[in-house]
Amino acid sequence: MQTYSSIFLFLFLTLILGCDENQSSKNKDPEKENALQSILISDSSNIAIPEVLQRIENIQQALKNSVPVILLKNLDTFQTQAQSIALHDAKFKENLFDKKTNQPYRNEIFNIYAARPQEVPMAFQKGQCYKVEMYNYALNLTTTAIVDIASNSVVSVGNIPQSQPDIPAYLKDLALKIAVHCPQVTQALGYKPGESEALMANTKTALNLTKCERSMHLCVAPTFIKQDKALWVIVDLTDHRVVGLRWTQVGDAGPVKKISEKKLKFDKIMNCYCKKVTALEKQDWKLNYVITTSDGMRISEVYYKGKLILNNAKIVDWHVSYSNSDGFGYSDAVGCPEFSQAAVVAVSEPRVSEIIENGRSIGFTLEQNFSSEQWPQPCNYNYLQRFEFYRDGRFRVAGASLGRGCGNNGTYRPVFRISFAGNENTLSEWKTNQWIPWQTEQWNLQTPQTPYTSEGYQFKLFDPSGNGFFLEPGRGQFADGGRGDNAYVYLTLQHPDKEEGENDLVTIAPCCNPDYHQGPEKFIEPSPEKTEKTSLVLWYVAQIKNDDTPGREYCWAESYLENGAYKTRVYPCICGPMFVPIKPAL
Amino acid sequence: MTETEISGIGMQSCRQSAPFIRKLGFDPSRTAFSSSEKNMKGLAIFELPKPGDTIKKLWQHKTWSQFGYMGSITTDENGNAYTAPIPFVNTLDNPVSIINRIYKVDAQSSELKLFAILPQADTSPGVVPHGVLGLFYDCHGHKLYAASVAGSTMEKENGILYMLDPATGKVLDELKGFDACGVFVGGITGEKKLYFGHARTPNIYTVSLDKEGYFDGKPEIALSLDQLGPRGDDKARRIRYDQYGNLMVFGVEFNFNLAAQSDKPETVYQFGYNRVEKKWLLMKIH
Repeated sequence: MQTYSSIFLFLFLTLILGCDENQSSKNKDPEKENALQSILISDSSNIAIPEVLQRIENIQQALKNSVPVILLKNLDTFQTQAQSIALHDAKFKENLFDKKTNQPYRNEIFNIYAARPQEVPMAFQKGQCYKVEMYNYALNLTTTAIVDIASNSVVSVGNIPQSQPDIPAYLKDLALKIAVHCPQVTQALGYKPGESEALMANTKTALNLTKCERSMHLCVAPTFIKQDKALWVIVDLTDHRVVGLRWTQVGDAGPVKKISEKKLKFDKIMNCYCKKVTALEKQDWKLNYVITTSDGMRISEVYYKGKLILNNAKIVDWHVSYSNSDGFGYSDAVGCPEFSQAAVVAVSEPRVSEIIENGRSIGFTLEQNFSSEQWPQPCNYNYLQRFEFYRDGRFRVAGASLGRGCGNNGTYRPVFRISFAGNENTLSEWKTNQWIPWQTEQWNLQTPQTPYTSEGYQFKLFDPSGNGFFLEPGRGQFADGGRGDNAYVYLTLQHPDKEEGENDLVTIAPCCNPDYHQGPEKFIEPSPEKTEKTSLVLWYVAQIKNDDTPGREYCWAESYLENGAYKTRVYPCICGPMFVPIKPAL
Repeated sequence: MTETEISGIGMQSCRQSAPFIRKLGFDPSRTAFSSSEKNMKGLAIFELPKPGDTIKKLWQHKTWSQFGYMGSITTDENGNAYTAPIPFVNTLDNPVSIINRIYKVDAQSSELKLFAILPQADTSPGVVPHGVLGLFYDCHGHKLYAASVAGSTMEKENGILYMLDPATGKVLDELKGFDACGVFVGGITGEKKLYFGHARTPNIYTVSLDKEGYFDGKPEIALSLDQLGPRGDDKARRIRYDQYGNLMVFGVEFNFNLAAQSDKPETVYQFGYNRVEKKWLLMKIH
């Protein structure tokens, strides 16, 4: 679960977009059809049924104990003794607490059984050995102990990282309850299932059937059969929630398709958002969007009140450099999770949210996150792309780093590319209290000395009739936590016939150039072309320094323990220009 | 080929240390090539510390970083090393147009030079940014094997397994239609076979080879990493025998993108060959 702690002025009501069902129903490939119809549930809050609330209370109670372990109950005498012996062993208890903060991890005894002969060392074959299996939710770690009841001693202790023991019956029951109370399950099946209808729930995902390999959480997959299909419900027992649903075909001669968290997400994103363009029509806006192979999410054919505004807009690169080491950093492309040139990939669906101000909707956002697999661990990244569209015709092309990166001395430089509609556009810069047109391709750096109009505009892009947009760069005024962009702005002539970004662009510049060499200058130098009354592309490269100072975190993420398992707290650094209509639309 | 000869394939190493390694003052028995040293582009050699010591010695020839990041490395009986470029995070050093190449470190001069230019990949949109994902020098047939996925797309598997003459760099044979990663030649099953990890699935295929190392027959699935290990769909980055003839498969996540973590988790899967069932059976996951 992510906890967003940045200060937003607006209240966002989020809607996860779905694939076009009419289009998908025409699909003849059943597996593709199943992928299209799968549901990712991004809401990280758990299902508030009494059993889950009781479970959380039990966890919190156990974490208060000096030995913070959820014990296995309903045991016979020997099992009880085995559990007690194990929990008195220092090595078995080695990973009960975070070694830095001394906060307790969530640990739970899953199984206690008479050890199999092959598990018992020769010297203890005549004893009465039991195996005790404990799971650590925070570290995704299994700790086992072979204990000898006869000698009241621990024979051996082992740790198996990134593994989970078979889950006990009561967790199976809990997973079933979570699954049957999930509204999306009822919706998918067409009725509310009973718990007895779920199959294979005692087969834990990490062993045979499926895994939550990205979150590294404990997951199980209750499965419901309906006619010739099986509905897999991936239940996350670390967070007590449903990760998503996916139908598979049953009864075929081929092997059963196994659904994991990664497969569920990747198949859905690839089929719904990478291979097809989605149309969005909302308020007075109409546009298309797609997740690209290397340029993040691209919006295109953007209309406001029936007028074409943008050809397209996207972020082509994220350059990250670290100041303590010359040339150290990364030039990240973001995009589709498979068969792409993306270093940081989409692992969730696009989201559309209302922008609420004073209780009413003043516009909406379209957002997409891209994340490294191990984020928020060091040297892993998470980027947010956001497009804001307002009822009054303003729009904003924005992005944010959600950390965490390789250090606290990083500078992020997202490279925005905004291709304007129209072939008679001119860009002017506010200078010496007047608008000065840029007659040729060039660039400019926003500095503390940069002049702005009284409204905060730095540029205007307009056609011969005077229609167009002011560009208002980020200076920390958007009340979204952003602290200013310190941006380079480049103007280039639009060349649909050249590889200058109308199609997907490969990475256009290295990580660590500290000056204007961020990539767009390649389309300007050495011979800048004329740019008056023509088709124009604006490039905007914000420069944002991260910060991990407590209370001032920026472009940062950190893990913290909640109920003994790790959560993520993020501090986004939002950047990007606002475009304001020169003439208000009628 | 005799039974003894075949069973020794992949077990009996012919590889020698390059003379330049000793000249540098490195102990050849503790020295190896690496393409994954932190903050180092290209190749390096490292000498493991002596017992009780902690200092790892690193060295890089001035030519070893000029062609960008490198991936798979294999060495021959003269100490020459062969390697191939990979796109690391991005394609700035090696765009698709020049990714499908093999480079060689000369055992005497230690210089890194272009060894073979494999057919250039189609650079149209949708083509994967990768080229050669696996290299293996076969001591028995004295041939170099290269697994390339250049030119593949999401929809079409266009990868080719190449067999090259290590003396000239000339392609002698090829097996089309497979996107492969780790490659290895072994004979413990009683047949000389090329093992290769499938880059699109967790499967490991084998294809028979004749004595000279030419492809002989159609590839078959020999084993799979499906649902094994912490991730459940690892691809075989590297395949080797251990000293007992068990197959050691080094598995990593791979999705035909450029995602790279600083410490990419790798899992080693140990398989033993059951001669009665003629199957590779999982023994242990490290």
